[in-house]
Amino acid sequence: MTGVSAAVTLHGVTKAFPLGNGRTLEALNVQRWAVPAGRCTVLTGPSGSGKTTLLNLIAGVSLPTAGTVAVHDTEISALPEPQRDRFRAKHIGYVFQTFNLLSAFTALENVMLSMMFAGAIPNEQRRRAGEILARLGLGARLAHKPHQLSRGEQQRVAIARALANHPPLILADEPCASLDASTAREVLDELLSVCREAGTTLLVVSHESSVLAAGDQVVDITAINRAKHRVSVAERV
Amino acid sequence: MTILTVALKYLRGRLVASALTSLAVALGVSLVIACVLLSRGIQQGFIEGTTDYSLLVGAKGSPTQLVLNIVFRMDAPTPNISASLYRQLRDDPRVEVAVPVAMGDAYQGYRYVATTGSYFAAFPWRRKTFAISEGRFFRDDPPEQPAYEAVLGADAARRTGLRVGDRFHEGEEMAEYPLTVVGILRPTNSADDRAIFFSLASYWQMNEISREMKVKPLTAVLVRAKRMSDLPGLHRGFNVTADTQAVFPSAVLLNIFNVLSLVDEVVAIILAIVGLVVVLYLFVSMYSATLERQREIATMRALGARRATILGIVLLESCAMAVIGGALGIAGGHGVAYLGAAVLAGRGGPVANLFVVSALEPVVFASAVVLGALAGLLPAVLAYRTEVAENLAPLS
Repeated sequence: MTGVSAAVTLHGVTKAFPLGNGRTLEALNVQRWAVPAGRCTVLTGPSGSGKTTLLNLIAGVSLPTAGTVAVHDTEISALPEPQRDRFRAKHIGYVFQTFNLLSAFTALENVMLSMMFAGAIPNEQRRRAGEILARLGLGARLAHKPHQLSRGEQQRVAIARALANHPPLILADEPCASLDASTAREVLDELLSVCREAGTTLLVVSHESSVLAAGDQVVDITAINRAKHRVSVAERV
Repeated sequence: MTILTVALKYLRGRLVASALTSLAVALGVSLVIACVLLSRGIQQGFIEGTTDYSLLVGAKGSPTQLVLNIVFRMDAPTPNISASLYRQLRDDPRVEVAVPVAMGDAYQGYRYVATTGSYFAAFPWRRKTFAISEGRFFRDDPPEQPAYEAVLGADAARRTGLRVGDRFHEGEEMAEYPLTVVGILRPTNSADDRAIFFSLASYWQMNEISREMKVKPLTAVLVRAKRMSDLPGLHRGFNVTADTQAVFPSAVLLNIFNVLSLVDEVVAIILAIVGLVVVLYLFVSMYSATLERQREIATMRALGARRATILGIVLLESCAMAVIGGALGIAGGHGVAYLGAAVLAGRGGPVANLFVVSALEPVVFASAVVLGALAGLLPAVLAYRTEVAENLAPLS
């Protein structure tokens, strides 16, 4: 895989979860996979097949048991944790299935928060957060807290939060699963539109047919994940 | 946004819990401040209110009772001594000044103190000065011609409403011997502010028993020795007799302080327990808030927040509640101490001015903040160690 065209590259990545008593469960085993830059890749597959685990590894939220994960030219899995956090804040946007907005904060503040983690100064945070929320049609909802917003509006705030630092990569885990069909369509269109406009790479985990149809490429995780989801026992000497 | 504004937002997000926690801190701090201020005020009140005289001679009995009654106008008077003892002391070559004092009844709770003009004299060695704010001092009238003139301490005048020229008496049996106010003293910040002074001649004539006595009674004599080296001799001389005792007021004051220090120790233990309870309350509040917020913490971490940032937010929240509670507690503690001092002073207790600049407030405030940080430390570590992937799993 060439570093120029790939936004994400995985080499020999495995992820095993300890189960206690020396037993582990291998959830992921991807020998080689790349996500093309500037395009929308939809990752699909059955529940429990390792999609979210894969997103967490790419985001640097968890580390592979073996192998390397690189985002653009940076091997995120090799970075020390504080640097990995800073890299994630600046270079990766994350959209969650259940929005995960912080309940004590307004829409504006939720977006500003992700900029704060990326090191933006407060005035800059306010200006840019206002702009991006207005771009997503939430200009009149800046001071509203999550419980005062509809589900579609909440997901738009979550998208704004993911886009706030202009990351080259956005990871979205079932972004439309909690929305009704028409709202899901609107939110997806906006997400795709903003990402395409900015040339942002979008990696979406989804089962939704509308999402699958909207992606530039669809990848079934069962095609790249060789993990047998079997429990193994470490040998004791 | 900064981590401080994030912490403050979280506090506002659970306003009732935050307010109650801050209130608990405020109550704890105000209790500490009020207890320390009152304890210090009482001790200082004893020091400021003590006499300039080095020796007190009275009837055999409790030295503490004698000092408390003569100097601080507390406790019951000791039995009488003869006025001849005063003359003996006055004529003693070792004595520079001897002042006779007879404690009488009270008018509206303000003790009658019969003495001579020397009680108010401004000797060069005296720290305490008496000045008249209105009128004049009473005259040292001869025993056979009492003038029934009274000088009122500042508090006694203010609380009884008596003015110069007013005549007053306590009870019907004293109606025959009314006292006339001839002067009002400036405040002295001592028990003298709550006394009504008049001459011994008036006292002896007002008292039915002493009227008939040839040798007139006194309660005590305040003595100033010419030389410090004469004090032990005087002290011993009056203590070996069967009827009299001589006490050093400073020594009795030390005994009083020793008793007060025991009370202080008990109060300190109670305050420590209160502090512990407040810290535990703060800890439980922060701990439960952190547990409830693990998903949000995981979200912040997924958005790029460093562990140290999360730790800082939780610690700042805890410290902010301690800061708010500490500031409110210091103000509240002063209020409680002020009320307590007013109640104590109203009952004749020696309480000095409480509002003096000292290290107390900054030390208590800093301690509250440090304890607040300590209370928040374990919840902060819990937040610091929050597993991101585990806590980001979609809610069912």
